Amino acid sequence: MAQATLAPEGVTQALSAEAVERISADEPTWLQERRRHAWSVYETTPMPTTKLEEWRYTDLKKKLDLAPLRLSEGTAAPDDPAQWPERLREAMDEDREASGHIVVIDGHVVHADISADLAKQGVVLGSLQDAVEQHAALVEEHLATEAVPAEEGKFAALNAALWTDGVLLYVPKGVQLEAPVRITRWLTESGAAYLSRVLIVAEQHSQVSYVDEVLSDDFESQTFTSTAVEVIAKDGAQVQYVAVQRLGKGAFYQSVQRTLAGRDATLDTLNVALGASVTRVDLNARLLGPGANSDMLGLYFGDGSQHFDFNTSQDHIKPNTASDLLYKGALDGSSRAVFRGIIRVYPGAQKTDAYQTNRNLLLSPHARADSLPNLEIEADDVKCSHGATVGELDSEAKFYLMSRGLNRTQAERLVVMGFLGEVLAKLPLGGVVEKVSRVIEQKLAQHEG
Amino acid sequence: MSAAPILKIAGLQAKVADEVELGILKGVDLEIKPGEIHAIMGPNGSGKSTLAKVLAGHPGYEPTDGSVTFAGEDLLEMEPDERSLAGIFLAFQYPVDIPGVSIANFLRTAVQARQPEGEDLDIFEFSDHLTERMEMLEMDVSFAERHVNDGFSGGEKKRNEILQMAMLKPRLAVMDETDSGLDIDALQIVAKGVNKLTEEDPEMSILLITHYQRLLNFIKPDFVHVMVNGRIARSGGPEVAIALEEEGYKTYEGQEAPSTNGSAPAA
Amino acid sequence: MPQNETIQDLDLDEYKYGFVTEGKPVFRAEKGLSEEVVRQISAHKEEPEWMLDFRLKALKVYESKPMPTWGGDLSDLEKVLSEIYFYVRPQDRMQHSWDDVPEEIKDTFEKLGIPEAERKILAGVGAQYESEMVYHSLREEWSNQGVIFDSIEDGLKNHPELFREHFGTVIPTHDNKFAAMNSAVWSGGSFVYIPKGVSLNTPLQAYFRVNQERMGQFERTLIIVDEGAHAHYIEGCTAPVYSTESFHSGVIEIIVKKNARFRYTTIQNWSNNMYNLVTQRATVAEGGHMEWLDGNLGSKLTMKYPSCYLMGEGAHGEILSIAYSGDGQHQDTGGKVVHVAPYTTSSIVSKSISKGHGRSTYRGLCKVYEGAHHARSNVECDALLINDTSRTDTYPYIEIEENDANVGHEASVSKIGEEQLFYLTSRGIPEEEAMAMIVRGFIEPIAKELPLEYAVELNRLIELEMEGSVG
Repeated sequence: MAQATLAPEGVTQALSAEAVERISADEPTWLQERRRHAWSVYETTPMPTTKLEEWRYTDLKKKLDLAPLRLSEGTAAPDDPAQWPERLREAMDEDREASGHIVVIDGHVVHADISADLAKQGVVLGSLQDAVEQHAALVEEHLATEAVPAEEGKFAALNAALWTDGVLLYVPKGVQLEAPVRITRWLTESGAAYLSRVLIVAEQHSQVSYVDEVLSDDFESQTFTSTAVEVIAKDGAQVQYVAVQRLGKGAFYQSVQRTLAGRDATLDTLNVALGASVTRVDLNARLLGPGANSDMLGLYFGDGSQHFDFNTSQDHIKPNTASDLLYKGALDGSSRAVFRGIIRVYPGAQKTDAYQTNRNLLLSPHARADSLPNLEIEADDVKCSHGATVGELDSEAKFYLMSRGLNRTQAERLVVMGFLGEVLAKLPLGGVVEKVSRVIEQKLAQHEG
Repeated sequence: MSAAPILKIAGLQAKVADEVELGILKGVDLEIKPGEIHAIMGPNGSGKSTLAKVLAGHPGYEPTDGSVTFAGEDLLEMEPDERSLAGIFLAFQYPVDIPGVSIANFLRTAVQARQPEGEDLDIFEFSDHLTERMEMLEMDVSFAERHVNDGFSGGEKKRNEILQMAMLKPRLAVMDETDSGLDIDALQIVAKGVNKLTEEDPEMSILLITHYQRLLNFIKPDFVHVMVNGRIARSGGPEVAIALEEEGYKTYEGQEAPSTNGSAPAA
Repeated sequence: MPQNETIQDLDLDEYKYGFVTEGKPVFRAEKGLSEEVVRQISAHKEEPEWMLDFRLKALKVYESKPMPTWGGDLSDLEKVLSEIYFYVRPQDRMQHSWDDVPEEIKDTFEKLGIPEAERKILAGVGAQYESEMVYHSLREEWSNQGVIFDSIEDGLKNHPELFREHFGTVIPTHDNKFAAMNSAVWSGGSFVYIPKGVSLNTPLQAYFRVNQERMGQFERTLIIVDEGAHAHYIEGCTAPVYSTESFHSGVIEIIVKKNARFRYTTIQNWSNNMYNLVTQRATVAEGGHMEWLDGNLGSKLTMKYPSCYLMGEGAHGEILSIAYSGDGQHQDTGGKVVHVAPYTTSSIVSKSISKGHGRSTYRGLCKVYEGAHHARSNVECDALLINDTSRTDTYPYIEIEENDANVGHEASVSKIGEEQLFYLTSRGIPEEEAMAMIVRGFIEPIAKELPLEYAVELNRLIELEMEGSVG
């Protein structure tokens, strides 16, 4: 990083102003300007250090090297399942019913489908790049504006400047999708930086579940994937956002997510993190209208030297809003998890109900968990509580199961699955529960070996 | 009976304070004279517990029409503590726990509030009196040092209510489902306590609110009223309760309250 | 405790300890902090060379450390510090009999009830006025058993080896900016040694009084509780109300040896113009037991997190913290427990009450190092908000490196329940009194651990504060 001493932090051969211009060459002016603005924010924002409270336990100096990264340059794979990687197809086969699909390979949306009936009702599911042309007004209004603007931070700025593709989901007023829409992503290029965005706009009283799964094999050199997720639920809408991360070793998974819930809207999220060497998720739920409600779920299982860092916030801005956060994780090997969460109750947001729970199970003597559940309360008529625990396997429960004839391995597996299963049980989306359970079982099998 | 009534309820309507309409009490009329024991029976949701809370001034309910006169004064104008000092006592259906506040301290404060202005309670006298009352209710004296209702069993909570009643000597005790959650032994102890208190003070009136006839075997009412859909649908002597026990509330089902329902303008 | 005052005598929202005593100090250093001031302090105390060196090095550390950007609002502090007096010597030498204490200073402590409490319930008393301990005394039965309870200066003079062995070992100079400041300018405080196996059955008490305007007080206390010994130490603090800010920054170091038990109680009732930034820490050896009972009622801003470092197997640390924040007050308090050895246990219970525009913050750390197997820790924080303008924050840090450990943290925020209020008022108790009762009940688990006269005082304070809180 010798050359970086004078250049603004994080500006590299690949991540550069020239790259911004190249990517946006054929884009409409408003988007070009938005990218340039984001880039200027990126250049002037320092790289977060552990001196910042929110980055206290994730030292980017040690965990991330941007210098050797190059922007993914592969061409789009064909829209033909027969030519897709086998693991990608397997992951899709495991999914159950869906209202529509998107397949993203190496940053390119190669396939999109939505049931004809929903399309007729005005539901849009497709490539964000395409939407810039086809749904210009919608994208211009919401992309990197109110939910995850460049000003959000270093990575939000980088993403807003250099994103190459992503997903747009639009659900018109009153339209209800019975089955989830499913996004499956596959990454192959070692040493690449992938920057993508998700924009979900659910109009009044609409209903939709969105499940986004990202997979890869192990990478030989560090591979960086950045996602900016913007979820907007208008009055009375019901939205579920689910992200399942199953990347291979060598991946640095970074996701900044913000959900905006209007009056009486329900906006629930689930973040499952199983893979990648480093996972960093920033999730901010903003309850903007009276009666808005957000359940925020998280589940992680670490082994080897995996590092997870979840930074969540629950902003109760209007009265009568509710949020309930539950993040649970099991840590094996010398893996480490950080949970930092904050409930903020704004002045005047009376009758807020806000809960926040983080529980960690340490399966190995070298695993580590740090938990920082915070509260900032500026209204008096509220119900707020939080709890955090770190502990080992419940030996009583294990003993009980063994006394009924299970061997140690089986007993441990059951106890861990029971511990983590609480999260899945709260958002029982078809396919997700089974898939996640199966992957955890596989990881647990390695624990014994 | 010729004495003037201690409690006079006329055309009382009330609703949940936070809700716009949905009245629960739809025109209740009731008179209780000194020394009388009245029972109000009724199915769940009939409004009988609401009536109890409205009499004690619960902030969650709002009277919308009608009047309540207690000992000649307008009860609805009074704060809950003023009602208590005037002689109303509500034995709660679900007594609230108040962690960190001992029963002795709580009762001392409540009794002190009844002393004439500037006169301090004699602590020793109070303490002796409390011990005596607790013995009467077959309660262990160590009970006084426990925190109000904190970690109490259902029976302990109800006995604590009767203890307070014994200490505060009301003119009218409103007992809201005091029998719920009590086994037969606990019920007998509670009833014995109440009967002793009425013996001590024959002028004390009681309004029993109950779903079941069981309690009335132990505390004999002079009058029994059946409440249905926010109104008193039938009044009579103890025989009403016995009939109810046999027939159940079925006879009253589907019985609409009179036409005041809906046509009454919101006050 | 003054017996002649009744509630009627007090202007209700007034601070009872706000009186000022007239009198001239024998020496006062220049305003602000400089090497000159540090040298003057050391010279006045006729200190050995090593202590002067220690102070001067600490001054460098202080100057090199930035002002904290977390916690309370310290944006005006640089200015305040440039205006205060870091060293004020009220009398020439410390006394061991109240009769020898100058009349006006003695009066102050009489008003605060200290000599009376000493006669009744205490094993020993130390009284600090401005920068120096003006009085120190220990009952004979304890001095005969080898107990040392003296001013920190006399500790250094009379027990140089014991002093030097422990001083600055629990809280090193570079620990934080204000520990460094204290290390440079410390003056006053106690030196306590409880010999092996000695159990004090009544508490030792130190009382800290700031009288002068624009005063900075920097007491330093070193307490060594030898193997198997038991003791309880109480600290109380008050000051007059001035329109300018005052500053208090103490450093309390405690060494709890094998199987010893120690409790340190603070009832901080500084006036609302005081910055109170204190570092308190104890190391606890095998089987030892340390309790902090930390009551923060006064001050403009307090930042104070008593700590237990559990160094030996089976050591136990406990922190009971209670904070009250009224208008213009911010209590940023909590505690730290650090588990270094196996089988160590700890608990933190924190209760705060915020009223008006008051703000209470809980900030705490629970750390379990790898190897501290079978460590157990539990943290409970409850915050009570009285008004819709009140604020509370909770910032716990939980850092666990050991899988064979169990750590839990629970926190809740509530206001006075409508049902509770109705229940009490329906028994004839006026609303304000009912509120005070509920608040007292809320803090009862901690208040019951206080010495009686402090508990009475605390209850009285709540009563006064709840007046006018209704409607």
